[in-house]
Amino acid sequence: MATALSAVDEAVWGARVANVSALERELARLRRSSSAHAKEQGRTVARAAVLNLIVYADREVHARRAAAVTARLADRHPSRGIVVLGDRERDGADVAIQLHCYVPHKEQSAQVCYEQILARVRGDADDRLASVVIPLLVPDLPVFLWWTGRPPHGTRRFDELLALADRLIVDSADFARPDQTLPRLAELASSHRYRGFGITDLNWTRLTPWRELVAGFFDSASWRPYLDEIVGVRVGFGVDMDGRDIHPSQALLFVAWLASRLGWQAVEALAPSEAGGLLFSLSRADGARILVRVRPRFERGIEPGDTSGVRLQARSGEQLVEFVLKRSPDPRHVTATVAVDGERRVTRVVPLPAPDIDELLREELAIVGSDHVYEDALHALVALA
Amino acid sequence: MTTTAVVNPLREGLRLARTPEPATLVLFGGSGDLAGRKLLPALYNLAVQRLLPASFAVVGAARRPTSDEAFRAELHDAVAEFSRTKPINEEVWQSFARNMHFVATPDDAGYDALARRLAEVDAEVGTNGNRLFYLATPPAAYAPIVRSIGTHGLRGSGWSRVVIEKPFGHDLASATELTNVVHEVFREDEVFRIDHYLGKETVQNILVLRFANGIFEPIWNRQYVDHVQITVAESIGIEERAEYYDRAGAMRDIVQNHLLQLLALVAMEPPAAFDDRAVRDEKVKVFRALRPIAQREVAARTVRGQYTRGFIEGKAVPPYREEAGVGPDSKTETFVAIRCFVDNWRWEGIPFYLRTGKRLPKRATEIAIRFRVAPHRIFSREASEGIDANELVLRIQPDEGISLTFGAKVPVQEFRIRTVNMDFVYGASFMVDAPDSYETLILDALRGDATLFTRRDEVEQQWAFVDPILEAWRVGMPELSLYPAGSWGPPEAETLIERDGKVWRRP
Repeated sequence: MATALSAVDEAVWGARVANVSALERELARLRRSSSAHAKEQGRTVARAAVLNLIVYADREVHARRAAAVTARLADRHPSRGIVVLGDRERDGADVAIQLHCYVPHKEQSAQVCYEQILARVRGDADDRLASVVIPLLVPDLPVFLWWTGRPPHGTRRFDELLALADRLIVDSADFARPDQTLPRLAELASSHRYRGFGITDLNWTRLTPWRELVAGFFDSASWRPYLDEIVGVRVGFGVDMDGRDIHPSQALLFVAWLASRLGWQAVEALAPSEAGGLLFSLSRADGARILVRVRPRFERGIEPGDTSGVRLQARSGEQLVEFVLKRSPDPRHVTATVAVDGERRVTRVVPLPAPDIDELLREELAIVGSDHVYEDALHALVALA
Repeated sequence: MTTTAVVNPLREGLRLARTPEPATLVLFGGSGDLAGRKLLPALYNLAVQRLLPASFAVVGAARRPTSDEAFRAELHDAVAEFSRTKPINEEVWQSFARNMHFVATPDDAGYDALARRLAEVDAEVGTNGNRLFYLATPPAAYAPIVRSIGTHGLRGSGWSRVVIEKPFGHDLASATELTNVVHEVFREDEVFRIDHYLGKETVQNILVLRFANGIFEPIWNRQYVDHVQITVAESIGIEERAEYYDRAGAMRDIVQNHLLQLLALVAMEPPAAFDDRAVRDEKVKVFRALRPIAQREVAARTVRGQYTRGFIEGKAVPPYREEAGVGPDSKTETFVAIRCFVDNWRWEGIPFYLRTGKRLPKRATEIAIRFRVAPHRIFSREASEGIDANELVLRIQPDEGISLTFGAKVPVQEFRIRTVNMDFVYGASFMVDAPDSYETLILDALRGDATLFTRRDEVEQQWAFVDPILEAWRVGMPELSLYPAGSWGPPEAETLIERDGKVWRRP
C-alpha cells in the first residue's frame, strides 16, 4: 500500500506485509510456527480470542505501551489486538498504511496464543482508517476501542472507529481540561445509549475501591441513617511535589458519584480555598447545604490525580459522625474509621490494589455493556462544572 | 428467606451489589485442622479482597482452653502457610485479628462465657447481633453443640445461621436424627450444609453451560445422549484420615455427597430461577427419580474395591490394609462404581455410570456426556475407522475446562476421518485465580444465600439411595474386589460397563 515509511521496530511488531490477505496468511504461518514451537516442548497451544481490541495512539511510545498491556492481558482476555498508530503530524502529502503482525512465542504461558496487528498510518488518513480496520476484526466478537489521549469528538477518525465499537475505553486522568472533556463524554454516553454502547473510564475504575469502601460504611444498619445527614465532604487528590500537575478529574468524579446516588443538587461553585483546590456548595434532597472541598495533596507514593483520602461528615442533632478513609499506614492500604464526636468507633485496614493499567483494563474488559452509574455521575458532573 | 439488607443507595453498580451484613462468625472447632487449613485462610482472603462487612468478628470455641493471643498467633501461622495468596499481608491480618477472640467451651460454664463474649463483641464491633455458627468439629460433636447453642441462648438479636460440615449423618436414620436436633434450634432456612464441591467454580459452570447456552439443552436428553460417566478419581491414599475413612469408606466419603450432587447438576431440569429454592427443588426431583438399587440388584449394579500394593507416579505405595490406623482385615471400600438410572421423561433408559476411588493413577474429576453415533454412515469403512461418537467432557479438576470431540477429515488425499478435540481451557480464557470454594461458600452463608448448600430433603434422598447398597455390602454382596494402587479400579468395574457394550473413559 502506497509509499514506504521509516521502519518501525520489526522485532516488536513483526514483519511488514502488503495487504490484509497477506496479513492473514502471515498470521496463519505464525500460528503454525507457534504451535510447532510449543510442541517441541511438549505443550499445546490454544488459539483463543474473546474480543477485538482496537487501540488508537498518536505516538509510537504510546502504541508500544498499549501493545505491551494487551499482551499482558492475554492471560485473561486473549484478544485480537489492532493497534492503529496515527502519525498525523508528518507530512500530509502522501498517505501510507503499513501492516505488521505477530503471534508471541512466550516461553512461560504459551498455551494461549493471541495476535497483534499494527496498522501504521501516516498523513491525513482519516477517510480510510475504518476500511483498514474492518477486515481485520474477528467476526462475532465484541469490539473495544481504547483511545489513548483525549478523544477528538467530531473527527472522522474517531467517529468512524467508534461506530465499530461496542465499548470505548478512555482514561480521564490524561485529560488536561476534565471540566470540558468529561461533559463531552457525558454527551457521547447519552447519544449512544440506545445501542447498548458503553464507556469505560480507567479513572473511574481507579475509583472503584474507594466507592466500595464508602458504600461499606453504610451497609451497617447503625450507620445507614447518617447517609441522609451529610453536611460536608472532603476529597484529597495527589499532586507532584511542586503542585504543577493538577488533575482533579478523579476527585470530581467521586463527588459527582455521591451527588448522583444521593440526589444532591449543585448550588454554586465557590472560590477555591487554595491553589488547585475546588469548593462547592450542594444541596441535599431535604434542602440542607453540603460543603464540598476538593483539594490537592502532596504525599509520597500517590500518583498525581489519584484519590488520597475521603472524609464525610454527618450531623444528626448535636452529634457529629465522621466517616474517614485515609491512605494509612502506607499508600497501599486504606484505614477506614468511623468517629462519633471525635471518638473512634470502628477501624479497619484494607489493602488498596496497585493502580496499574493492566489491572484496570482487566477489570473493565470483563464488563460488556454500559455502566449507568458512571454515566449518571458524568451527568451530575455537568451540572457541577 | 434472607434478611433484607438496609437499602444502601451507594451500592448500586458496584462489583458486589450485596455485601454481607455485619456479623460475628462463631467457629466451633476453632483450633482444629479445618479451621487452620481452610476456613481462616478463606476468611483472610475475603478480607484482602475487601469482601467482608466492615463490622466483622470471629469468635473461636473449642474444648481446650487457650488465650486470644495464642489463638490469633496459631491461626496467623496457619494462614501464612495455607493461604492461596502469599505472602500474608500483615496490615490486613492485624486489622482482621483485632476482632478475633477465643472462648473455651468444655462445659456449661464455658457456653455461658461464650454467650457473654458474643454480647460484648456485638457491642464493641457493631455486628448487629447477627451470628453465623460454623461447626468445624468432628461429626459426633454436632448435636451437643447445636443443643448448647439453644440452651445457652447463643442466638443473637439479629439473624442466626448454622453451617455444618460433611459428613451429615452416616445413614438416613442418623441424618434425619441430626436434622431433628438442629431443628430444635434453627429453622431449615437457617441451616447451611456444606458440600464444598458445590463451591467450586467449575461445578457452578455446569449450570452456566447448560442454562446460559441455547445449543446444549435441546440435545441434553435420551434422544441424543447415549450415556453419562462421572468420575471422581484421587491418586492420594487416605493420608492421616484413617480413623474417619475406615468407618466411612468411599461411598459415604464421596458418592453420597459429591458424586450424587454432580449427577443432579447434570440431570436436573432447568430451574425457574437461580435461587436456593428453585435450584434445590430441581435437584431433589432428580434424587427422587433415581432408580433405587434393591439389595438383590446390588451385586449386578455396583462394584466395591479396595486398593492393594502398587505404584503411584513411580513410587511404591502400601496396600490399604497396611495404612496407619487401618486393620489388616478391613473391608472398607476405597473404590466404588455404580450403574444407575434416572427414571424420568428426559433420561428414561440412559445409564449413568459413577465411579470414584483412591489410589487411582491420577487426580481427575470429570463428567462425560457421550452422544449417540451418527445414525447413518455415508463414508467408507476405512474412512470411518477413526470415527467415534461425539463426547462432551466437563472437567472439574484439575485443568478445569470443557472439550467436545468430533470427527474431522485428515488432510490427506484419501478420505480419512479422525476424532479431534475442541478444547476450552477455563484457565486459558479466564486466567484468574479462581476463588477457593470455601471463600465462595462462607460469603454465601454470610449473605444468606443457600443455593450452593444441601437442603434437608436432598441429604435424606441421597442417603435413601445409598443405604440399601451399604446394607447389601455389609452382608457381603458383592464381595470386595481388590485392585492394585495405580490402576483404574478392579476388573469388575470394567465388566459393569462392558456388559452394556460401553467402556470407561481414560480421564
